[in-house]
Amino acid sequence: MNFPILSVVTFLPMAGAFLLIFIHRKKENLHRTIALAVSILAFIISLFLYFNFNSQTPDPQFVEKSVWLGYGINYHVGIDGISLFLVLLTTFLMPIAILSSWTYIQKRVKEYMIFMLLLETGIIGVFVALNLFLFYVFWEAMLIPMYFLIGVWGGHRKIYATIKFVLFTMIGSLLMLVAIFYLYSAYFKATGTYSFNLFDFHNLALNPNVQIWLFLAFALAFAIKVPMFPFHTWLPDAHVEAPTAGSVILAAVLLKMGTYGFLRFALPLFPSAVIKFLPLLAVLSLIGIIYGGMMALIQKDVKSLVAYSSVSHMGLIMLAVFALNIEATEGAIYQMLNHGLSTGALFLIVGILYERSHTRLIKDYGGVSKQMPVFSAFFLICMLSSVGLPGLNGFIGEVLCIFGIFKANKIFAILGITTVILAAGYLLWMFQRVMQGPITNTKILSFKDINKREIAYLIPIVIMMFWMGIYPKPFLRKMDSSVTQLLNRFNNQKAYFSKVEKTQERVKKTENETTEEKNKEKEELTQ
Amino acid sequence: MNSFLALLPLLVIVFVALAVLILEVFLKRENKDYLAYISLSFIVICAFLCIQFWNKSYFYFDGNLLLDKYSLFFTFILLLSTGFVILLSMKYIALQDTNYGEYYALLLLALSGVMIMVSSPDLLVIILGLEVLSISSYALSGLMRKDEKSSEAAIKYFLLGSFATAFLLYGLALLYGTSRSTHIPTIIQYFSREAELSLMALIGLGLIVIGFGFKIAVVPFHMWTPDVYQGAPTPITAFFSVVPKAAGFAILLRIFFPYWKTAINTQSIFVLLWIISVLTMVIGNLIALRQTNVKRILAYSSIAHAGYLLVAILAQDNSSLVFYLTVYLFMNMGAFAAIIALSKKDKEYLELEDYAGIGFKYPWIGATFTIFLLSLAGFPPTGGFLAKFYVFSSAVKQGLVPLVIIGVLASLISVFYYLRIVVYMYMREPSREVDIVVENPALFLVLFLCLYGVLQLGLYPRNILILIQQAISPFL
Repeated sequence: MNFPILSVVTFLPMAGAFLLIFIHRKKENLHRTIALAVSILAFIISLFLYFNFNSQTPDPQFVEKSVWLGYGINYHVGIDGISLFLVLLTTFLMPIAILSSWTYIQKRVKEYMIFMLLLETGIIGVFVALNLFLFYVFWEAMLIPMYFLIGVWGGHRKIYATIKFVLFTMIGSLLMLVAIFYLYSAYFKATGTYSFNLFDFHNLALNPNVQIWLFLAFALAFAIKVPMFPFHTWLPDAHVEAPTAGSVILAAVLLKMGTYGFLRFALPLFPSAVIKFLPLLAVLSLIGIIYGGMMALIQKDVKSLVAYSSVSHMGLIMLAVFALNIEATEGAIYQMLNHGLSTGALFLIVGILYERSHTRLIKDYGGVSKQMPVFSAFFLICMLSSVGLPGLNGFIGEVLCIFGIFKANKIFAILGITTVILAAGYLLWMFQRVMQGPITNTKILSFKDINKREIAYLIPIVIMMFWMGIYPKPFLRKMDSSVTQLLNRFNNQKAYFSKVEKTQERVKKTENETTEEKNKEKEELTQ
Repeated sequence: MNSFLALLPLLVIVFVALAVLILEVFLKRENKDYLAYISLSFIVICAFLCIQFWNKSYFYFDGNLLLDKYSLFFTFILLLSTGFVILLSMKYIALQDTNYGEYYALLLLALSGVMIMVSSPDLLVIILGLEVLSISSYALSGLMRKDEKSSEAAIKYFLLGSFATAFLLYGLALLYGTSRSTHIPTIIQYFSREAELSLMALIGLGLIVIGFGFKIAVVPFHMWTPDVYQGAPTPITAFFSVVPKAAGFAILLRIFFPYWKTAINTQSIFVLLWIISVLTMVIGNLIALRQTNVKRILAYSSIAHAGYLLVAILAQDNSSLVFYLTVYLFMNMGAFAAIIALSKKDKEYLELEDYAGIGFKYPWIGATFTIFLLSLAGFPPTGGFLAKFYVFSSAVKQGLVPLVIIGVLASLISVFYYLRIVVYMYMREPSREVDIVVENPALFLVLFLCLYGVLQLGLYPRNILILIQQAISPFL
């Protein structure tokens, strides 16, 4: 295929942003309309990717490759079964996010729309890049629009939140950059040619000790983005302070860049280091699940409740990623999409409430469903999707994840399932306090039910929730071959938790431990 | 080719400097902008000469003045920056009431000094050029005679600059004593012959490093920088932050590239430079965090950038060093241009508080300033990212991983203070009344050219990389 469809999808929003620069700032509705039109157009074009996707081959498709700066720095993009749906998720949610800020954003509409569109380009770029240099460029460039979105249109503590977001992300990514340099020079020393190509690095035989450091650098960058415990502290701040659309994109897509980074880069590049760190990473994910859920239970602010629920849900996704079997990995990818839809929808719903009352505190609400019955129905569906009710999307993802984790390690699976229990707890309780009961706050009496625009952007999400919950096959089958190929890298190492434990027992029997392994052993015991 | 033509670019600049000095007497006050036009047109002629000479290698005075591709490339960079500075100065001088004639004359003389520096392989001639540069610089930094800060800057610069020259001369004397030459290639040859280096030669080399360390403002020889940058007229600060630094690094490269390659025992100098580089990156960035004056922030940032440039010297990668300097020229000039834009009659807005809300009030200045700051901080897709990328990747290739880790963490610190300016511009409500003179086409031309440079170098710098490869070819 000669038509550069991936580049078009990636750079169309940026072109739209350039167009907006030349439109007078007074014409706010024109800005809104153009931004919406561009993002819808990008979505329609991206659907073409879905329908023409060949699910038989594990290799990247729609590949475009051309020399950019030389010395291995190429413009190289393509998508496979892992990234396809993340691109679609981005293009799907962007028009919704823009539509949701139609009246919410009244100040500086022009700049807002420009940054939204630039953000879309950055995110899609991250998901399609196959050259590590290109990937890093998008990864970093995407920070700038988000920085402005939170910093200019955010809440009271916006400056603190946005600086924290940027600095946290950059600590990880700069160290990752050093690791990329190292891979680059190691590849040059091994082969005599320059390359930043991801697949070239796959064939690189790295010294296991070096792999550990490189893996840690990559893992730190992605763990901060996911965010995994204990690197999650930027997330509640950023989510709470960001404008609604910013929170939606942040939760639905940006966090996925972390999990995607693990699947695409950290796991396949450093398989032996991954095996070494699996127990630690799995435990951190578990802590994230439980800690995030507990924190969500005690939040007084609806938005930070949803933010902490993200920490918990992302913990389950990470735990599934580290289970390294096909059920869990597909479940993780599927759950990434589900989390994008349901948490995105929850943020939209909080935004709708906030636009009416200008408060996010749970205690200021109560009995809203009487005033807003239609809204109440949407809220209920989105909330139940996040909880994981059978028939809705969350259920399929969670079941797959837990199946996979169970296959790898039963105790982890049992602990991991607390995500669902805790989610049911904090979400149902929140729903009850906000929507039901008597109306205590007189302000609520003046609430109007959601208007057509709000229904228009909630409906597609709800349709997707039902579709993905009832008939997940079209999604899962497209992932199969890519996921299988990813897991093949671990096959010779039999990388399940139980196997790791067994080898360590064997090591113990032969009493040939180094001190390092002793420490590992201690960690194992404490688990 | 031995030819008098080698002197031509230099003669052009010195001629126009003197001509401007004389013309100033005969021009009426309202016509004094002509001086800028004359200076600019001769700089353009000189730049044109550089392009003409690109494929020829002229030399004169027994090779002590050498116009090879390397010198020509740097001369071009220096001409470009001086051209930018003149464009920035035109309105500024009128607004801030500075004297015209000596301003341009001194600027051009300083330019001739750096041109001598970059086009000679002989340390004695280099120091000669350095003195021409320095003496003009001392006077330039004190040009705003009514301003205490400016006089302070001049005195400080003069005292510390004289120290630096003394160090350089002493180092040169020691080197001459051991190697019997002031000619850099001959000195390097001496280093490659001796398996066991005499202490005297090493001290000599160390003193030379220290002397240039003052000029390129690396820690711990940076003390003069913030005060001089703050006190000097802002376009002159832009000049100081780019031109002497570029020339200083051009010479360090001339010395150290062959030195790493051929000398037998390079350990001690390597360690010295390693330590200086780390100190410069870390301390420069840390102190910048505490500043509230934008000129001082940029002063410390320029110190930190000298640290990154030293990483390139340690990585023995001259093309990345030259690329970094080229990018640095555009992004720093651009940032200063934006600062100069925020001024009115007898008033400059330099405190962070003044910048609150500027971004939306003056969208073009705000947006371009933001891009320059992001470039200085090293965000893609700007030139600043690619420059850091090349420097650090070649350093990793040389196995300098700890140095690179320190470097990237230091640049993380820098992200904070660069973004702080952006925070003020876009995320704070204005607290002070700021009104500026917006009609300044020359300044907007500089902003535009620098923006173009930063983006071109960040997105598609292949042509310039090829030029740089050619420029460093005399060394390979």
